[in-house]
Amino acid sequence: MAGRWGRGPFLSCALATVAVGAGWTFDERTAAEVAEPGAVTGRIVVAGGQVRFAGDPPAGAEIDMSADAYCRDQHDETLMDRPVRVDPDGGLADVLVRIVNAPAAGTAPDAEALLDQEGCLYTPRAVAVRVGQPLVIRNSDATLHNVRVVPASNPGFNLGQPLRGIQSTRSFETPEVGIQVRCDIHGWMTASIHVLEHEFFDITGEDGTFTLPTLPPGDYDVEAWHPTLGTVSERVSVTAGETPSLTLEFSSG
Amino acid sequence: MTAPDDRLSGLRVCFAAGLVVLASTLASLSTPQSLAGAQAAQGAPDGMALYEAGCASCHGSDGRGAAADRIAFDDPLPDLTDCSFASREPDADWIIVSKAGGPVRGFSDVMPAFGEAFDDNQLQAVMDHIRTFCTDRAWPRGELNLPRPLFTEKAYPEDEWVWTTSANAEGPGAIVNELLYEKRFGSRNQVEIALPFGFAEDSSTPASRDGGPASDWGIGLGDIEIGYKRALLHNLQTIFSFGTEVKLPTGDSERGIGSAEFQIEPFLALGQILPGDAFIHLQAGGGLLSRGHREFAGTAEHDEDVREAFFHAVFGRTFTSGEFGRSWSPMVEVLGSTHLTGGARTQWDLVPQMQVTLNTRQHVMLNVGVRFPLTDADVRSTQFLVYFLWDWFDGGLFDGW
Repeated sequence: MAGRWGRGPFLSCALATVAVGAGWTFDERTAAEVAEPGAVTGRIVVAGGQVRFAGDPPAGAEIDMSADAYCRDQHDETLMDRPVRVDPDGGLADVLVRIVNAPAAGTAPDAEALLDQEGCLYTPRAVAVRVGQPLVIRNSDATLHNVRVVPASNPGFNLGQPLRGIQSTRSFETPEVGIQVRCDIHGWMTASIHVLEHEFFDITGEDGTFTLPTLPPGDYDVEAWHPTLGTVSERVSVTAGETPSLTLEFSSG
Repeated sequence: MTAPDDRLSGLRVCFAAGLVVLASTLASLSTPQSLAGAQAAQGAPDGMALYEAGCASCHGSDGRGAAADRIAFDDPLPDLTDCSFASREPDADWIIVSKAGGPVRGFSDVMPAFGEAFDDNQLQAVMDHIRTFCTDRAWPRGELNLPRPLFTEKAYPEDEWVWTTSANAEGPGAIVNELLYEKRFGSRNQVEIALPFGFAEDSSTPASRDGGPASDWGIGLGDIEIGYKRALLHNLQTIFSFGTEVKLPTGDSERGIGSAEFQIEPFLALGQILPGDAFIHLQAGGGLLSRGHREFAGTAEHDEDVREAFFHAVFGRTFTSGEFGRSWSPMVEVLGSTHLTGGARTQWDLVPQMQVTLNTRQHVMLNVGVRFPLTDADVRSTQFLVYFLWDWFDGGLFDGW
């Protein structure tokens, strides 16, 4: 997953907290270092959260890959096109979770993010990058894919990738959520690219969980964005010594 | 005063030079050339295989376009076997679109960019394979569609609207427009009709003759012109055509807009590609059964019962802004004409000009030039000229910007 940049020395602590459960967790180590009467200078690790889907997810449509024998042969079972992917516990995948009013941004990382085409599917279905961060777009299939990227605020492009292993690198200079990516040859192939100006974001995994980097104390607007379900948001007050839990919920209605 | 034979000698030299060029190029035209290029060269990219990998999913292995149920977009796909479509544009434009995607030439953004997947040699190999889909070699290739000069007729048959406006810089005032419509039919043929109209000052008024303020301006219709042209021979560098134009006596000779005489002007035209994006046009012909000639108001004499011969030569070169940008084509045009009867003086003109493509698709263009009289400059006016050209086959006037 993208979005795990600049977490500094608290990564191990954050991951440990994820293992315990979802919620906002106070980083005791940091607080101990700065604990003085009346002073609130600690940093908070947003160790985990979950985006859930309430109700029955929309039924997907069967993907017909018969037009491309290569694509068809990559899958033993018939695939379903599910724009809303929900695990048995209600966790919603492919959601961008971000802090809207995040602190000032640091330098964009040089590390490359990856959007792959494998088995005639985009992997991952959603990818998030920082402004200026390189995004590698790769074709791991031995069939032609085109990658049509249709932004609203950034220049669009459409790459022809006819051979296995071909890859191109692009970056985006303007923050933008929900850039549509599609293949015009294989109509079921869609994905989203998100471009953010800071590092306080993540994409939910298969179980709907996410992890955000450390945040200084303050009031934050947390927003979850899904390509078909839209946006939900919640305001969270982060203070030293508290561990507010955060569950963002979409509904079928 | 120069003797009639001497007056004709300069034009004869030009005709002779033109015939030499024609003879040498016609010799080369008689040798068939493979339109598929050097695909068979050892180690060359396999254009067919590359086409299958990168193009056939949408354009079909046979070039006719994939079935609608095999692709996920609604944009119509061109039939690459249709020579009327496939022959019109040069390799370079096809390769630019293949390399950078449809929007680079104002086409659909469904057409992807393959510039990071295929190198230039591979793209050329794909292009060579695409050229095999049109099997009728009677269609002249788009490479021969050279930039259009202001006066000289191109050898290449076209589908165009051209609006030309000229204005006299001195002498009797005249602003003459010509609206020209050209239509191709079949592989080699073109018909055209031109409608001239404009405003002209009456040159017989004392104020005009003395260079004073204009005193009598009128609006009028010029000599309507109907033409036919056929490409006789062509290869990848040269095209040679025959044509004829018929001018109807609809002009207002008193106003200086047209000659109001019936004229037939047969001509030969040659287009030649030179190295380094340079080119030449040659055109030679005569005005038969004509009784006085005016290409534009205020520049000709009022002779009667004369026959005219003319010779046009153009040299130009095309420059491109950046890799995919606007095309600029500076040209120098030399115009020679003489009346074969009546002892009239041979007239020479020099017309420097610049054609530029206006839109991304490059099917809308502008050409601006000045016609300087080299002979009888004291009585023949310098003219400013501009044309606006729309190659309507390539799309609507407002498409591809």
